[in-house]
Amino acid sequence: MKKHHAKKLFSSSLLALAIACSALNAQAKDTVKIAFVGPLTGGNSAVGIGGRNSTDLAVKLANENPKNKYHYELVVLDDECKPNIGVQVVTKIASDKSIIGSVSHYCSAVAMSALDIYKKFGLPMITWGTVLPDITYGQKIAEIHRVNGTMVNQNEVAAEFMTKLGYKTWAILHDTTDYGKGHNKYFSEYLTKDGGKILGTFGVTADQQDFTAELTKVKELNPEVVYFGGLTPIGVRIRAQMERLGLKAQFEGTSGIRSDSYIESLGNDLAEGTLTFNEGAPLEKMPKGEEFKAAYARYGYDQPYEAYGPFAFAAADLIIQAIEKVGPNRKEVTDELARTRDVDTLVGRVTFDDHGQNIIPLITKYVVQDGKWVIWEESDYGTGKRKLKGL
Amino acid sequence: MPLGVAMLVLLALSWALLGAETQTEVFGLFGVTAVIAVIASRLKFTESLGRVAVEHERAVSIACVVGILILMALFHEDHFPLLLLGSVLLYATACLGLNIQFGYVGIVNFAGASFFGIGAYTTAVLASHTAMPHLLILAAGGVMAALVGCVLLLPVLRTRGHYGALVTIAFATLFRSFLEVNDTLGGPQGLKIPSLQFFGWDLGEGLIFGGVEFSFYANYVFFALLLCMAAYVCVRRVERSWLGVAMDMVRTDEIAASVFGISIARQKIIAFVLGNLLVGIAGAAYGMMTNYIAPNNFTFADSLILVSMLLLGGIGNPLGVFPAAALILILPEKLQFIQEYRFLLYGTVIIFILLFRAQGLLPRGIRRFFPCAENDPRQ
Amino acid sequence: MSLDIFSQYLINCLMLGMIYAMVAVGFTLFFGVLDVIQFAHGDVLMAGGFGALVAYAATQAVGIANSWVQLLLMVVSTTVMTAALGALVARFLVLPLRNAPPLNTLLITLMMGMVLREAVRLVYPNGSNPQPFPSLLPHDAWRVGGLDLRVDSLILLVVGLLLIAGLHLLITRSKLGLAIRAVAQDGETARVMGINFNRIVLLTFGLGSAMGALGGVMRGLYYTEITFDVGLLLGVIGFAAAILGGLGNLYGAILGGFLFAVLQAIGAVALPVLLPDFPSAYKDVFAFTVVIVLIGWKPTGLIAEKTSERV
Repeated sequence: MKKHHAKKLFSSSLLALAIACSALNAQAKDTVKIAFVGPLTGGNSAVGIGGRNSTDLAVKLANENPKNKYHYELVVLDDECKPNIGVQVVTKIASDKSIIGSVSHYCSAVAMSALDIYKKFGLPMITWGTVLPDITYGQKIAEIHRVNGTMVNQNEVAAEFMTKLGYKTWAILHDTTDYGKGHNKYFSEYLTKDGGKILGTFGVTADQQDFTAELTKVKELNPEVVYFGGLTPIGVRIRAQMERLGLKAQFEGTSGIRSDSYIESLGNDLAEGTLTFNEGAPLEKMPKGEEFKAAYARYGYDQPYEAYGPFAFAAADLIIQAIEKVGPNRKEVTDELARTRDVDTLVGRVTFDDHGQNIIPLITKYVVQDGKWVIWEESDYGTGKRKLKGL
Repeated sequence: MPLGVAMLVLLALSWALLGAETQTEVFGLFGVTAVIAVIASRLKFTESLGRVAVEHERAVSIACVVGILILMALFHEDHFPLLLLGSVLLYATACLGLNIQFGYVGIVNFAGASFFGIGAYTTAVLASHTAMPHLLILAAGGVMAALVGCVLLLPVLRTRGHYGALVTIAFATLFRSFLEVNDTLGGPQGLKIPSLQFFGWDLGEGLIFGGVEFSFYANYVFFALLLCMAAYVCVRRVERSWLGVAMDMVRTDEIAASVFGISIARQKIIAFVLGNLLVGIAGAAYGMMTNYIAPNNFTFADSLILVSMLLLGGIGNPLGVFPAAALILILPEKLQFIQEYRFLLYGTVIIFILLFRAQGLLPRGIRRFFPCAENDPRQ
Repeated sequence: MSLDIFSQYLINCLMLGMIYAMVAVGFTLFFGVLDVIQFAHGDVLMAGGFGALVAYAATQAVGIANSWVQLLLMVVSTTVMTAALGALVARFLVLPLRNAPPLNTLLITLMMGMVLREAVRLVYPNGSNPQPFPSLLPHDAWRVGGLDLRVDSLILLVVGLLLIAGLHLLITRSKLGLAIRAVAQDGETARVMGINFNRIVLLTFGLGSAMGALGGVMRGLYYTEITFDVGLLLGVIGFAAAILGGLGNLYGAILGGFLFAVLQAIGAVALPVLLPDFPSAYKDVFAFTVVIVLIGWKPTGLIAEKTSERV
């Protein structure tokens, strides 16, 4: 037992030394902890790791800033995209009084399961990737905020945009998670309102690999557009298998497939012309966008920040700004976040309504052109130089 | 005497494990545990311990209960360790149910998480739509799981071994798919469950007891402990009764059993239904503790987690599921600091444990027909 | 339904069934020699696919441009690597647990599968995301009526059938196959007859894993992408197919694989047409319900094991 003690003493003195070193840099600021929760293992880990890296970057940049009053420390937890694990880890951070705010959740079901815990312990959180409307609008919880838009916004724009382009018939594929089912619901709703016709709807499971049966049926129905509500891995499979079956329809996705790996895994030819819709202003257009990209490259993260990384960065930034303003106190930070109006962030202006939802006026439309996601208005397709399929 | 020492060491270790937070603490703890394990096996301490534990079964059980109560008192206001402790107890209860199926009668059930889920979903529906007393709802969760299990009875009875595994694997997969597609039960988002209430006492509220504040999870740990004790007593009673003897016989040799006039179907039906009942009740209580359930909690992978606990503990020994459940639930949680690498390390650790203890942590001993006899001839 | 659409469904099912069958064959081989379930098999297959990707990158690095040569090198290297991996799993994880309850083998291989999966995800560059798989086969399409026939689909189909036939010949006609069948029937007696039990077990695990790796490469070529977690579902379905067909029986595994593909297609497409309120997302519910019914009807698989009760 004594040996163990010595070891502990040794390691803790090492730790103290490390802290002392970093404290020297930070000129003896008080340390404030914030948490990141997201999926770091399993099928959704790509987006989760991207979000983690972006949050980490926000914390590092805040620590570099000599004007900041506090030194920040990030506590990272993996929720595995499973509600029961989500309850566990959120209980962990919420009951740790030294954690002041949390950048939480990519999977909507996990966020839903943990809402009451944030409320119970009064821990302010900003979700960086969940899209289910109920998280903010289901009940009014002061601690819950969301920087990204809900799936309602993006599908409203998507349906209107596509019908205006002149497309008339759709086939819808969606995964049966809350993400895909929600997208199907709202897109179908708005599309029918805008006069589009849905020829068939197919639910697929999130780990499905073969879509040839569904796609052959789609081929038989012969729609002008194939809409897919779901994430990159399945999006890639569906697009690739459409090609194999000789299905020539236009492919349209949701925010879940707007990642670089969508294009990398398909190759430029197959990805060409894919449409998607994303909440928030495009990174390239934002004053801080290039700065973010440069900093991300500078710190040498080995995985891309993915579609929701900038939102995680913005969420962390908002929490840090609030702490700087009112000090490390959960209640005060919650109140401060509620007062967020027209704050400039990486993803555009953020204004939280009384439910903590960011009312983003802007949905950006993207199309793949020569191996890159290009904003529709600036693309050859938008200017009429190239034509989408079936137009 | 050795028993007392071992119990104290175990208590200290579990206290340290539940409380360990940082990298150095967790790794230090691993080191200490490994050293203790190696020394204990070198000194042949484990063997004598096993023998003593069998002789003083009652003392061991009481010591376990007291140990958990002590842990509960130590962590009385730390929510997170208490939540973990509660989860361990409830998962262990579910494993006790599976133990009757796997360990005694020899039916494989790879749909444990599905029956766990049926219990939880029944609770969610009943607790939010009816005014039934919650204790009854818990029981209803178990009964529902047992009833749904009956649908599978015919294929389960007709098949054996791996073929039986397929029946339950198929059920586990389709159950999850069904929950996700079907919107009446909340769909993929899941359902909210109100917290458990007994005669007006809300377990979701923290308690102040003699000036000391207790976390509301302490209530659940206490309740889970009661449930777990009841399940343990029940499973042990089954094992010791003629029913248990008959079940063992069916497992070891069906033909011989039927020659002796034992109805194989009857034993299997009893084991399957009773097992699912326990799993369902545990699931119902778990749902009420976490207040939220979603299809993602009840996948085939989760069933495999339950089976892993059972196998790691040593099939057939109800005592084994406790350390195994603790290891399998708490280890990945304590590895959070290595973030995305944690399952890599976790898998490796389990593989090594199995290589060194191929039979599981606490394998089941040979049945003792005269447990009270002082001079058992086989000792 | 027109004939061309129907033939399209037929080709889809054949191709998918073939991939399932190749996984199932592995399960059946392992079960045959040792009566154990090697649950890491799906992930071994995934590792085979990624091994092929690494080999492809290597051929590009040394400047080989001919796609047939590249393909050959990929297949050879990944087969050897995966066979070795399978044999290693058998040697260090499965054989040491021979005297433990057989289910413990399941647990240890399950954990092995998780370690493999996570290792590939973390070690392969950007491994959490799907990876492009080079389409090295010629992909011209013939248009026959409304049917798009792609050359690479046909090649894969034929190669797959040849592989399964080849394995069948190996098992039934060669000396090695004889030894494998002897061990499968009775390990003790086989030993008495002078067969090196451990060697045959290792060889069988190597052989089954190599089949899995070939399945992984075919899967990659067919879908032109591969993700670190493909082994999970393929493993479960391959396992289900092997059991449904009747464990220890090569024909059974193949039959089970194709049957599964057909069931999924019916659930996804045919049923929603027949029953308008049946969403196609229920196809797994449908496929697995049929599996439960089938196994209840034929409790030892569709092609029953020919073993008498050992008393």
